Amino acid sequence: MSGLNDRILGLGLLVLAVAYGWVAQQWPEPFGGTEGLGPETFPTILSVVLIIGSLYLMVKPDPDAQWPWGKTAIELLVAVIVLVIYAVILEPLGFVISTTLVVGTLSWRMGASPGKAFLTGLISAVVVFGLFNYGLSLSLPAGLLEIN
Amino acid sequence: METLGFLIDGFAVALTPYNLMFALFGAFIGTLIGCLPGLGPANGVAILIPLAFSLGLPPETSMILLTSVYAGAMYGGRISSILLNIPGDEPAMMTCLDGYPMAQKGRAADALAISAIASFSGGLIGTIGLIMLAPVLAKFALTFGPAEYFALFILAFATLGGITGKNPMKTVIAASLGIMISTVGIDISTGTQRYTFGVLELYEGIDFILAIVGLFAISELLFFVESRIGSGHKKVNVGKLTLTFKELISTIPTQLRGGILGFIAGVLPGAGASLGSFISYTLEKRVIGKRGSFGEGDIRGVVAPEAGNNGAASGALVPMLTLGVPGSGTTAVLLAMLISLNITPGPLMFTQNADIVWGVIAALLIGNVLLLLLNIPMIGVFVKLLSIPPMFLLPIVTMVAFVGIYSISNSTFDLYFMVAFGVAGYFLRKLEIPLVPIILGLLLGPEMEKNLGHALILSDGDWSTLWGSPLALGLWAVAGLGLALPVIVGPLLRRRMRSALKEGPISD
Repeated sequence: MSGLNDRILGLGLLVLAVAYGWVAQQWPEPFGGTEGLGPETFPTILSVVLIIGSLYLMVKPDPDAQWPWGKTAIELLVAVIVLVIYAVILEPLGFVISTTLVVGTLSWRMGASPGKAFLTGLISAVVVFGLFNYGLSLSLPAGLLEIN
Repeated sequence: METLGFLIDGFAVALTPYNLMFALFGAFIGTLIGCLPGLGPANGVAILIPLAFSLGLPPETSMILLTSVYAGAMYGGRISSILLNIPGDEPAMMTCLDGYPMAQKGRAADALAISAIASFSGGLIGTIGLIMLAPVLAKFALTFGPAEYFALFILAFATLGGITGKNPMKTVIAASLGIMISTVGIDISTGTQRYTFGVLELYEGIDFILAIVGLFAISELLFFVESRIGSGHKKVNVGKLTLTFKELISTIPTQLRGGILGFIAGVLPGAGASLGSFISYTLEKRVIGKRGSFGEGDIRGVVAPEAGNNGAASGALVPMLTLGVPGSGTTAVLLAMLISLNITPGPLMFTQNADIVWGVIAALLIGNVLLLLLNIPMIGVFVKLLSIPPMFLLPIVTMVAFVGIYSISNSTFDLYFMVAFGVAGYFLRKLEIPLVPIILGLLLGPEMEKNLGHALILSDGDWSTLWGSPLALGLWAVAGLGLALPVIVGPLLRRRMRSALKEGPISD
């Protein structure tokens, strides 16, 4: 079926909009009542607008997008995982090591030769670390390389 | 001449060595951002916000830095249009039409030089327009009440998709998503916790800066991974400058027309820089007619769109500065900077933060001069940098985005959030849900709710107050038009733009 993308998106948004609107109705009345606008009024309006929008999407969907499958999808997944890992290792391993690994892996996966990729990672990591910690006196985590 | 006095004060702010240094730095970085494919102006400015913020730059310096980047990006976009036939950013599309043929004829250096000059005059005309129009509009905007503001915000969203926008319903969806995200956190007026689910990090709401950086920068990386265009372009030879003085003089009328049209397109809601350069180009083609050789490397075909998009860039600052309502992605990001500096954008800014407003305006004038100086003798540097392959560039840009977000709060929690926004941004862009309304929703959501609340208090809970005054009614009408017009004239305009261009426009 054509337009499946938008129908699925519409369904997802509809669920979100209903949940969002429903949560808004659960809040207790603020102490002393409200003048004009309660905490739930504006979210309720938004929820209604989004419900209308998502229904429209399901009824009149646009043509489907081209989705990457197979190898490209895996590459994308790898890129996202690498970014999450970056956030995980940034503090324990320190900025320089984690950045070398992450920038290196990303540019390697984007087509650079491994040697060049990790060298780019190392250089950019050292330059940015130096610039931030010594030039701009903003501290980035040193991690394993910390010298006390 | 009250304005002139303010402007002189503005120059006093912008000409301090410290600010001048940041203006120069911004102009350089901006040109770079504009010319490198994969690093659009909105994206580039977004990445710089957390840096400016965590460096603790004073407000006027931060704004000067970012506006110089913004102006610079408009200059930079033309470089890859002319040399590679790939627009560096969306408004530079029209420059491909005659710029690339000129380069193929061996006149690349001339095309680059004349387009720099056209950018300069466009920017100058636009900034003069801004100086004349902004104070008037700001004064007028002081008469707006909360109901008018609420209608104005609706108008901003309705026209954001632009006349050429595809599916207005997707703009509506994007805007409501953005506003919904902005409601997370403790409600300012009642203190109710909304959508926090007991997570401490959510009490203060979701920081729009990390949302912006995630949506733009991370999703851009993912798009590049997907399209696998990691390798760079071959180096292009620019050749010698053969532009004659006579030729330069002959383009002056084109520059004036382009700049003025661009400025008007920039000020109007829903038009923006892309339409500015399109209108300038088509009009020029009509005025010159058969006497020109448009599409085959006519010099005026390079001048018109460049003057147009730079005029529009300054024009787009008018609604942003006077009403606090940006009309484009990049001005929305500039607004984000203002809000995070704790400056309430809008007409009051002209009186309360006159030094910032006029400092920024003066910086635009100075920035244009700096950019002209940068772009003619140093064009070789930018051309060299253009051959940096994205496979090295984008990972580094991503790293800088991480550093910026991390340095705001020194917490990795924000980084997960940013990656999540990036992934969401990727899917939304794939599904053609525009990102700019989401950003604008994030920024304007709290203001919208506040104004709605004020309006209802003033009217004792009577909702009809929202369209009670003629002005508010007019704003609602324009907003309605903004949603209806794309459906009616959009396909026509899009077809024209597409037939003018061989390849489809790049979304950003």
